[in-house]
Amino acid sequence: MKSLSSEKAEFLQVLASRIVPETTELDAVGLGRFFCIIDQALQDRPASVRRQFATFLGVLRWASFARYGNPLDKLRAERQDAVLRWFEDCPVRILRTGFWGLKAMIFMGYYGQPETNELVGYAPDLDARANLHA
Amino acid sequence: MRPISTPGQISMREKEFDIVIIGSGAGGGVAAKELAPLCVDGKRIAVLEWGAKLKDEEFSGREVDMASKLFFDSGGTFTADRAMTLAYGRAYGGSTVIYTGTSLIMPEDVVERWSVPGLEFTDLHRRSMKYFEENNVHRLGDNEINDNNRLFLKGCEKLGYRVEQFPINVKGCKGSSLCNLGCPNKAKQGTDRVQLPKAEGLGVEVITNCRVTTIGDRVCEAIVTDPGFGEPSKWEPGEYRVKAKVVVLCAGGVVNSPGLLLRSGFCDHLPMLGRSITLHPALILVGEHEDSITNFHGFPKSYYCDEFMKLDKFLLETCMYFPFVTAKNLIGFGAQHSELMRAFPKLQMILVLALDAAVPENRVTLDAHGDLVIDYTLTEPVLDSLHASMLASTKVFFAAGARRVHAPAGKRFFIDAADADRVDELIPRANVKPGKISITSAHLMGGCGMGRDTTDSVTDGWGRVHDVPWLYVGDSSLFPQCSEVNPYVTVMALADRVAEGIRNNVGELLS
Repeated sequence: MKSLSSEKAEFLQVLASRIVPETTELDAVGLGRFFCIIDQALQDRPASVRRQFATFLGVLRWASFARYGNPLDKLRAERQDAVLRWFEDCPVRILRTGFWGLKAMIFMGYYGQPETNELVGYAPDLDARANLHA
Repeated sequence: MRPISTPGQISMREKEFDIVIIGSGAGGGVAAKELAPLCVDGKRIAVLEWGAKLKDEEFSGREVDMASKLFFDSGGTFTADRAMTLAYGRAYGGSTVIYTGTSLIMPEDVVERWSVPGLEFTDLHRRSMKYFEENNVHRLGDNEINDNNRLFLKGCEKLGYRVEQFPINVKGCKGSSLCNLGCPNKAKQGTDRVQLPKAEGLGVEVITNCRVTTIGDRVCEAIVTDPGFGEPSKWEPGEYRVKAKVVVLCAGGVVNSPGLLLRSGFCDHLPMLGRSITLHPALILVGEHEDSITNFHGFPKSYYCDEFMKLDKFLLETCMYFPFVTAKNLIGFGAQHSELMRAFPKLQMILVLALDAAVPENRVTLDAHGDLVIDYTLTEPVLDSLHASMLASTKVFFAAGARRVHAPAGKRFFIDAADADRVDELIPRANVKPGKISITSAHLMGGCGMGRDTTDSVTDGWGRVHDVPWLYVGDSSLFPQCSEVNPYVTVMALADRVAEGIRNNVGELLS
């Protein structure tokens, strides 16, 4: 990725496994598409947004250290989810919005792939007139 | 005004026109068509459009791909506090390429509340009807309405909520439901299909991939680029100095019209420039039914409920979005979120919109680096409206037969039908948390509001910027307050009026 260091990209993949568990089932091509979509989205944003995103990943990674003695990627899954739920509902707005932005990026990387449409049952049709009534 | 560069300082190509229109959406496209007859009299008119003109075959319906090509910031422009995202178009045809085409006339009581000198409901109504006809606005027949929409109607009727059918501007709709990614069937009657071709047929030049960076005294500086998709611009990539002997008309939308004027230094005598924007904040709820329904096949937005507009200040509308947009509008993550996404064919969706008051502190402005910033605070009354809208929508889902509902402010991820009588308790007001809940805007309004003088507005009732006789505005930034209905028809009616004013003043302006 151009937008993130390899270390941060690896951490992003750990987060993705909790946000969208199906990302663990992506093959190498799918994972490549996942990172490519996110990277392009970050590249299209101002540099300040890229810096904020990278900083937020850092905050997220080390936020659990005080309580659990380990960075987030070293925790077991249940504790990772607990930390992420705390951020989603955080009383500090900037952390809430940061978490929303993170989720949006991961959702974009996964659900934004046309190849995953079938997995959720989304089957658009340019001419759907014959399909209007179930 | 800031001094604009002079020829010789930078290698710029020079172009000269009589009228320069910035933007080609609902406002710019209409103005271009209405002013086009002047070309027959030898006047030269250019439309400078930032976005690309996509070839018909490029409307692929692929969500992320089309969002990046047709929207500013791929449909996710942030407000300064990151609590909202704004979606507005960047294309030949502007936002008319990516809207759903629901066509409503602004109510008379709203026109009266706007209190713009010389702006009368009868005039706006007449002009609106002109565009109803021009854009083939009509209501779909029963056989063209899918289950997602029928269930909304069923739910509202069962609860006794007033529900109306949207007139829409389509011709030959094939029910792809891809309206918000650009209609792949050329059915949506945006300015790209109706007004711009007419304007070009009479001699108006539309220059795409052309971003105006500054406006000076009857001159614009612009940059033409090659984005790598769409038809090539009529001008070579590079920097341009575009003279407008008569008029410059800004129709770049709520972010870019005031933004351009702010960058160009017009704020010095226009204290209201950029101020009092309204965004019609919106969010989505989903209801899951037992069986698959037709939701992503068929026109997505056929009904609205305005039962709660007067007292609670919100609207409900049917909607259908794509997998990524749906995913980011749900709260939560992990297994439950995935479970709901995998029920995509069973999902009914409702869009709620809150009426926001125009307050001067909500504005488009420039930061210390000269970059555009959208300062917008979600007020407590708006959050109250969004909360109330979630209660009403959830009840509509259950009345329509949904087995469970996901409400962004719900105590639980799912509210089951068995708890349908506890909706008020299960969706507490305290859970309406900006930053956690995805709140968006596709109806951007204000920033160059019409009014009496510079103390309360930026333009007069004909879109002419106060004390700048050659400068006009012709888009939704003219709105002094929220239109309370989907705005595009009102934009067209106002742009029609602005163009008439320009035609009437051409002689004076030339002299």
